[in-house]
Amino acid sequence: MGIADLKQIVEALLIASPEPLTDARFRACLKDEATNIPLADIISELETDYTKSRRAFEIKKVASGFQIVTKSEFEPYIKGLFSKAGKLRLSQAALETLAIVSYRQPVTKNDIEAIRGVSSDSSLRTLLDRKLLEIRGRDEGPGRALLYRTSTEFLQYFGLNTVKDLPKLREVEDILSEEQDELL
Amino acid sequence: MDKPLRVDLEMFEGPLDLLLFLIKRDELNIYDIPIAKITRDFLVYVGMAKELKLHSAGDFVLMAATLMKIKARMLLPQDPDGDEEIEDPRTELINMLLEYKRYKEAAVTFEELERSERPHYYHIPAPWTAEEEDQTAILEDVKLYDIMLTFQYLLKNYEEPLTHHVAVEEVTLSEQAGYLSSLLQTKGKISFLNLLERFESRLIVVVTFLAILEMLRSRQVKVKQSKLFDDLLISRGAEFGNR
Repeated sequence: MGIADLKQIVEALLIASPEPLTDARFRACLKDEATNIPLADIISELETDYTKSRRAFEIKKVASGFQIVTKSEFEPYIKGLFSKAGKLRLSQAALETLAIVSYRQPVTKNDIEAIRGVSSDSSLRTLLDRKLLEIRGRDEGPGRALLYRTSTEFLQYFGLNTVKDLPKLREVEDILSEEQDELL
Repeated sequence: MDKPLRVDLEMFEGPLDLLLFLIKRDELNIYDIPIAKITRDFLVYVGMAKELKLHSAGDFVLMAATLMKIKARMLLPQDPDGDEEIEDPRTELINMLLEYKRYKEAAVTFEELERSERPHYYHIPAPWTAEEEDQTAILEDVKLYDIMLTFQYLLKNYEEPLTHHVAVEEVTLSEQAGYLSSLLQTKGKISFLNLLERFESRLIVVVTFLAILEMLRSRQVKVKQSKLFDDLLISRGAEFGNR
């Protein structure tokens, strides 16, 4: 099968896939018509086509896979499709909770609240409802508290490829030296 | 100097956030917080919290108590012999503040990522419904959490009027399990919603649901669902028939 056929197949898969298309899933879909060409190569061919023909969308590498997304300049028009003014943004509390989970996962509600110093029930609920977090088992310790971790949707939402892509959390020492500098 | 006279407590995510604000506002050294002053300022805000009936007021009051405890401990005379190194009573609080500050900063990063991702939209194909389902389900491994949520949702249709009658309902778990087995024997798969239509009382629904969970555990049945709160499709499991 030639690259032209593969490009079409990948394009079809990208549009129909309910989640970012991974190399493994792509191969599984090909079944007998196996190819050695990596998905990433076919994707980059498609991207070239899209740029040439000025498409309104682009391919994003996210959650270890690929996804077709609209280009940002069309947001003002796309917003007209939705009753609410675009997507709902996360609250400060939810963002803090999410930050703690993403760097320390798996964590319990207690771990989160110990760091935030404030009850985090409602932000946890919001994040679970929006599927940015998921429950993954229970803690071994007393009480067998639920353990939370980030989901694939979390990676999609923030445009991250893997959790390892998160910017490194600043060291306490750095924060301290900055505090000192400010005082001087 | 740019010092806001009055700041809404609702601006703060919690007591630690408020303390960080006070430290920044007064350009205090986080390693050497003047505890008497900060306690006083903190209490002014907590006073506001009482009026506002904030749901997180309890967390603020708890921090106020902690601050006063630290303040009291700092007033205690130092060890006269000077043999033992006495830990600064503020150490624990300082560590908490620094740790919280790290994640508060990380939250800013997430907000920036959110902002840069927001203008991108993607299409999510509609999942197939249970009726169209054949061998391939959207969610092969439905999590117990999903099933419980669905059940809770479906059970709302069975709200019973508040009356007092005591009658013994003759329904047992094994009876319902047997009933499900015989249905599966003939039909291959059952829709949970259709199943519910056959029952009149909430109790039978609950017992049937427990029977499904039990059979799921012993792998006599499989349960599939196309999306959350959607119908559950029950079919024969690997251990079907082996009891």
